[in-house]
Amino acid sequence: MSFNYGQGYPGGGNPPPSAQYGGNYGAYGAPPSAPYSGAPGPTGGPYGAYGVPGQGGQYGHGPGGPPGGSYGGYGGQAYGGPHASAGNIPPGVNPEAYQWFQSVDTDRSGFINLKELKQALVNSNWSAFNDETCLMMINIFDKTRSGRIDLFGFSALWDFMQRWRAIFQQHDRDRSGCISGMELQQALAQMGYNLSPQFSETVVQRFTVRGMRPGIQLDRFIQVCTQLQSMTQVFRERDTAMTGNIRISYEDFLSGAITRLM
Amino acid sequence: MAYHSPYRAPPHMNAPPDQGFLWNIFQRVDKDRSGVISDSELQQALSNGTWTPFNPVTVRSIISMFDRENKGGVNFNEFAGVWKYITDWQNIFRTYDRDNSGFIDKNELKQALTGFGYRLSDQFYGTLIDKFDRQRKGQVAFDDFIQCCIVLQRLTDVFRRYDTDQDGWIQVSYEQYLSMVFNIV
Repeated sequence: MSFNYGQGYPGGGNPPPSAQYGGNYGAYGAPPSAPYSGAPGPTGGPYGAYGVPGQGGQYGHGPGGPPGGSYGGYGGQAYGGPHASAGNIPPGVNPEAYQWFQSVDTDRSGFINLKELKQALVNSNWSAFNDETCLMMINIFDKTRSGRIDLFGFSALWDFMQRWRAIFQQHDRDRSGCISGMELQQALAQMGYNLSPQFSETVVQRFTVRGMRPGIQLDRFIQVCTQLQSMTQVFRERDTAMTGNIRISYEDFLSGAITRLM
Repeated sequence: MAYHSPYRAPPHMNAPPDQGFLWNIFQRVDKDRSGVISDSELQQALSNGTWTPFNPVTVRSIISMFDRENKGGVNFNEFAGVWKYITDWQNIFRTYDRDNSGFIDKNELKQALTGFGYRLSDQFYGTLIDKFDRQRKGQVAFDDFIQCCIVLQRLTDVFRRYDTDQDGWIQVSYEQYLSMVFNIV
């Protein structure tokens, strides 16, 4: 059974969002693509539904985001959105991201560090994103590995986040700003994961802030989904026979988690 | 076998500092006088010896270790544990950072972890350096060293729970695997 990530986006012709930044973000660049999005058939294999039925068109590009085709990277392709004429926004940069970048990069360094990023990203209740999620995103979008991101990285991060926000809002049915264990379960199922309700409950409990009702906000949701994607990939690489079980050595277990988890 | 006696916690090499001394420090670190030291308060108080901000992930790891009520910080009683934990690590780090550079290199990291009981390949030490060397120097600073050890310990603990026959191999299902790695996130 082969995996073709492209098939997760039946919009046809649209590159997966990960292509927007030269594809260098690998699995991270494509939030809603289920880990097994390429495999045909709704029930094949131990991971259950591989496809993401009906999702491709919806998530192929974020709502309000640029129309298909404009993710093609920076290679001189003009931004196709309604703000194309705005000021001196470099091609390929989301205008909204551009404005946020300018207001957050207070020292005009041309880069955003962790502290500045936290000012740009908020949950529904306006609480700042937690450090771990911000650091994870810096790690994903910091091409220079300098612990900070430039305008292009930030624009990619912005699109990445908007897509996750749309999914989050879709599953936060009571508009509480928080996703419950059951809502997480539904979100993961829709993304193609076949995991028990218990798994989602455990994850939600793990991240619930004390004194609050059980649930995770957008920042944790992004962290959980991104890491789920990444760790599923690690598992899949080792489950070559597609049995849903792996035999793994101690050091391989450590390596997989350490290189791909945080 | 890979992990006969992995490291559990820093050895208790310091006598506990007296309460008045700790109280003074606590008050200085607890800038907003809330009675609880938060992540950012602790981060500002800590130095990794290299004039760069202390790794916020390490700070979170340490606080969550001692924050018994999951309140997002540590009170005075819990702070005593934090203080001891960090000074114990500091002493360990110093014994391996022989030139006092504030960094330990791959060989020193290997010596330290071997001393804790880990048996890991050279290639794996390369992976560790690559992951925990936040400053991109090919070496690991104090704060990143702590984080490296915490992560290794957590992963080893969870692996062990599944490796009941202690042969260094486990067989796990997809969901078991995810649960294992998510517990230590």
